[in-house]
Amino acid sequence: MKPPRLLLRFFRWYCHPELVDHIEGDLLEEYGQRAKEKGKWMADWVLCWDVLLLFRPGILRNFSNLHYRLNSFDMIQHNVLIAIRNFNQHRVSFIINLTGLSSGLACSLFIYLWVADELSINKFNINDSRLYQVMQNVNSATGVETIEHTQGLLAAALAQEIPEVEFAATVVPPNWFSSPGIISFENTLLKANPQFISKDFFNVFTCPILQGDRSNLLPDRSAIAISEDLALKLFHTTENIIGKTVNWNHDRFTGEYHITGVFETTPANSTNQFDLLLTYDLFQYLRPSINDWGNSDPSTFLLLKGDINVESLNEKINQVLKAKDPNSESTLFIQRYSDRYLFGHYDNGKPAGGRIFYVRLVSIVGILILVIACINFTNLSTAKASRRGKEVGIKKVVGAGRKSLVWQYLSESALVTFCSLVIAVCLVYVLIPQFNTITGKSLFLKPDTTMIAGLVCFFLVTSFLAGSYPAFYLSAFSPANVLKGRRNTSIAEVVVRKGLVIFQFSTSIILIVTVVIAYEQMQYIQSKNLGYRRENIITFDMEGQPSSKLEAFRSELMAVPGVLNAGTYYHNLTGDHGNIRLDWDGKSPDQRVDFINLEVGCDFIETMGIEFKEGRSPTKNVNPESQIVLNEKAIQIMGLENPIGKTVRYWGKESTIVGIAKDFNFESLHEEIKPCFFRVYPIMPKFVVKIQGGAEKPVIEEIGHLYARFSSGYPFDYRFLDETYRMLYATEQKISVLSRYFALTTIVISCLGLLGLAAFSAERRIKEIGIRKILGSSEMGIVYLLSNDFAKVVIAAVVIAVPLSYLITASWLNTFAFRIELQWWYFIGAATLALSIALVTVSSQAILAARANPNQSLKSE
Amino acid sequence: MKKYQLGEFEEIVMLTVAILYKEAYGVAIKKEIETRLKRKVSMGAMHTALVRLEDKGYIKSHDGETTAERMGRPKKYVQITALGKKAMEYTRETRNGLWGAIPKVALDLMVVR
Repeated sequence: MKPPRLLLRFFRWYCHPELVDHIEGDLLEEYGQRAKEKGKWMADWVLCWDVLLLFRPGILRNFSNLHYRLNSFDMIQHNVLIAIRNFNQHRVSFIINLTGLSSGLACSLFIYLWVADELSINKFNINDSRLYQVMQNVNSATGVETIEHTQGLLAAALAQEIPEVEFAATVVPPNWFSSPGIISFENTLLKANPQFISKDFFNVFTCPILQGDRSNLLPDRSAIAISEDLALKLFHTTENIIGKTVNWNHDRFTGEYHITGVFETTPANSTNQFDLLLTYDLFQYLRPSINDWGNSDPSTFLLLKGDINVESLNEKINQVLKAKDPNSESTLFIQRYSDRYLFGHYDNGKPAGGRIFYVRLVSIVGILILVIACINFTNLSTAKASRRGKEVGIKKVVGAGRKSLVWQYLSESALVTFCSLVIAVCLVYVLIPQFNTITGKSLFLKPDTTMIAGLVCFFLVTSFLAGSYPAFYLSAFSPANVLKGRRNTSIAEVVVRKGLVIFQFSTSIILIVTVVIAYEQMQYIQSKNLGYRRENIITFDMEGQPSSKLEAFRSELMAVPGVLNAGTYYHNLTGDHGNIRLDWDGKSPDQRVDFINLEVGCDFIETMGIEFKEGRSPTKNVNPESQIVLNEKAIQIMGLENPIGKTVRYWGKESTIVGIAKDFNFESLHEEIKPCFFRVYPIMPKFVVKIQGGAEKPVIEEIGHLYARFSSGYPFDYRFLDETYRMLYATEQKISVLSRYFALTTIVISCLGLLGLAAFSAERRIKEIGIRKILGSSEMGIVYLLSNDFAKVVIAAVVIAVPLSYLITASWLNTFAFRIELQWWYFIGAATLALSIALVTVSSQAILAARANPNQSLKSE
Repeated sequence: MKKYQLGEFEEIVMLTVAILYKEAYGVAIKKEIETRLKRKVSMGAMHTALVRLEDKGYIKSHDGETTAERMGRPKKYVQITALGKKAMEYTRETRNGLWGAIPKVALDLMVVR
C-alpha cells in the first residue's frame, strides 16, 4: 500500500525540518490503517486533505531561508525598508522625484512608442531587406525631379534582362488615382481603394491570401480580389464569396467583376493602403498609353537576389531603359522600399533625408528629457547627503563594504524608478488617445515581449542614471570624518550639483529655442510654397440635393465672413474628366482631337483663380450649352484666330466661345497640359470655396455649421485642394505640436528639481534665517539671499545655452536653401522665459522661508 | 491575566496527553480525542497545537521507536512538564472559580428557559 509520493514530497518541501519526520510518520501510520479499513482511494483522499490542512503557520518552515547561504535577499529587503523610511521622512523631495521621473518617463515612453512605430513603417514585408523600388529622376524646369512613377513595361523588362532581379512587380497604387472608387454588392455600397498589380506582386510583397489561388489570384481582366475587411463589410464573411459578382465604379474601370480571392487587410504600418486588387493587364488594356516607353505611370518594385551592389545595378537598369527607349532623358535608380518612408526627400536626384530628421530629433529630445528627470534625483540625493552621511558612517563602522552601500543607493533609486514607471505607464495609458490625436497614429500599449523588454530597459537605465552618482558619491564617505561631523561639503559636490542644474536649464533653453525656430522655419517654408500652390481652397460634396437648395446654400455660403468666393463643379479637379470631340469651322476632316470636358458651375473659374487670356466667364443663368470657355492649348490645337465669338459644335449643338483661359495644370504634374473646355452650369453639386488666408479654421467651422443645416445629417467632409500638400503640412504640424509639449515638459521637470533644491536649502538654513530676522533682516533681504544662488546658476545656464543654441539652430537652418533670419529675440525670449520660471519657483520657496516665524525655528536645538 | 495561556483545543490536547501518559504520540493523541470527544481532529490542527504547547514549555518531547507501518519514521512522544501541569491546574482552578461564582438561581432560570 503505497501513499501518493507527490503529496509526501510536497509535504516534505514545506514542512519544518524538525517536525517533518514525526508528522510524516503519523500521516503514514494513519494512512496505512485507513487504507486497510476504507480502501486506498479513501485513504489517499484523506491524506491529501491532511497535507493541505497541515500547510499552516507553525508547521511551515521558514521560507526566507530559501536563499540558503546568500544574504542578498535579506539585504534587498533591508534596503527597500530603509528606502521607504527615507521617502516617508522626506516626502517633499520624494514627491518631486516621483513627479519629475514619472513625467519624464511618460514622455520618453511616448517618444519610444512613436519612434518605434515610425521605424516599423513599411517593414512588414518578409523580404524587406531585398525589396527595392525603382525611382526616376526627371529633368524639369525647376531642376531634377524625383518621381516614383516608372515606365509601364519596365518591371517585365528588368525581370527578363537583369539576372540579379529575382522578381519584379508593376503596381499602380491607390494614390495614383485622385479618389477612391465605389464597390457595390446588392444594396451595399462602399468606398474602396484599388490597386493594380502584375503577376509577381505576391512574390515581391508579403500579402497573405485567405481565399483563392496564390499562384494565380487574378486569372483574367474581370477578376477582382478584395481585402478581408472589405469582404466582411460587403458580405459579412470571407467564406464562399469566390465567384460572386460585384460592381466596381471607378474611373475607366467601371464594370462587373468576379471575386477570385480574399487577401489579408494591409497592416496599419504600411503606407500603401489598398482594399482591392485588379490585374495590371486590365490597366494596360484600358490605358494602352502605359505601354509607351515615354510614359511613366506605375511603380516598379524589385526583389533582388541576395546582396548586390546598388550602384552597378542602377547602371544596368539605365542600360535597359536606354535600349528600350533611346530618347529617354531620365535616369532610374533603386531605393530600399522601406527606406522610402523615412528617406523620402530627394535633393538633385539623390535621397536626402526626410522624416528621419524628425525621428532623430524626437529621439534625442526623448533621451534629454529622461536625463533631465534623472538629474533631479541625483541633485536631491546629493544635496541630502549631509543628512545621510551619518547613516553611511555607522554602516561603514559596523562593517558594511562600499559595494553593499552602492547597492543600497542603487536599490533606492530603483524603487523610485519603479514607482515612477508604474505611474508613467498609467499616464501613458490614460493620455494615449490625446497623443494619437496629435500624432495621427493609432498607437497603444500592448504588453508584448518587445514592449516589456523596452520597459525593463527603461527601468534599468533610469535607475542607474538616477542612482549612480549618489551611490558612488555617498558610499565614498570616510566614516571617521562624517561621524565627527566634519564632512568637507566640498567644492566638488557643489560644483557638480550646480553643473547639473546648469545642464538642465541649458538643455531646456536650447530646446525652447530650437522648437521656436523650427516652428518659424516650417511656417516660412510653407508660406514660401504658397506662391505656386493652391492654398486656402477647400472642396466638399453636396450630392443628392435639389438645385434650388444648392443655390440657397451657395448664397448663404458667400455671406459667411472669410469666404472669398464659392464655386461649384461636377468633374473632379485632379482625376479623369471624360473627353468630347469638338467640331468647328475650318477643322480639317482627319484631325482628331479629344477635348477634356469640364462641367462646372458658375464662379468656379474665378474661385480657382484661373485667369483669362481673352474674353470673360460665361454669363450666368443662360443655357450652359450656348457658351463655352476653352483653354489656350485648345485654341492652339484648333488653330483659330480671333476665336472669341466663333462657334464650336458638339453633340449636334452649337456654342459660342466667350473666353479663353490661360493654361493651367489641372491634372497631375506629370501630364502635359491638355486641351480642355468648360461648360458652365448655374449650379453643380460639388463645392469649391476660397477662404481668406489666416482664418481657415473658424471659417471652415462656420461652413460646417451651414453645411449641417442644409445637408440633413451628412458629415461635413471637406478637403484642402492640394491634399498631398495638406498631408505634408500635417506631418510637420504634428511634430511641431509634439515638440512644444516636450519642451514644456523639460522646463517643468527642471523647475521641479530647482524647487526641491530651493526647498532643501531653505530648510537647511532655517536657523540662519531665524537669526537674521531677529537681527533685523527684512523679508525681501532673505528672499534675495536664498534666490541669489539659484539665479546665478540659471544665468550661467543662459550664458551657455544661448551661443550653443545659436550654433545648433544656425547649422540646422544652413541645410535649408530658403531660411529665416535668426532674430535676437528668439534667444532672449527663451532665456527670459527660463529665468523667470526658475526665479518664480525659487522665490516661492524663499518667500515661505522668509515669512516663517523665527521663534519656531530657533526654539529647539 | 496572561499567566498561563491555554486555548480550548490546547487544553484538550494537554488532558489527552496526560491520559495517555507514556503512550502519548501524534496518532494516539488524535485517536483518543476523536473517540472520547466524538469530534474530528485534523492532523494539522493537532500538530500545530503540539508545536505551540512545546514552544510555551508545557510539554516536552522525545523521539521514540519506529515501526514498519511508519516506514521508519520515529514516533514523537510527548510528556507534560511541571509548567504544563501548573498551567492545567491554573485553568482548572479558574474554571472552578467561575463555576462557583455562578448563583444557583441563574442556572435554574436558564434551565427553565
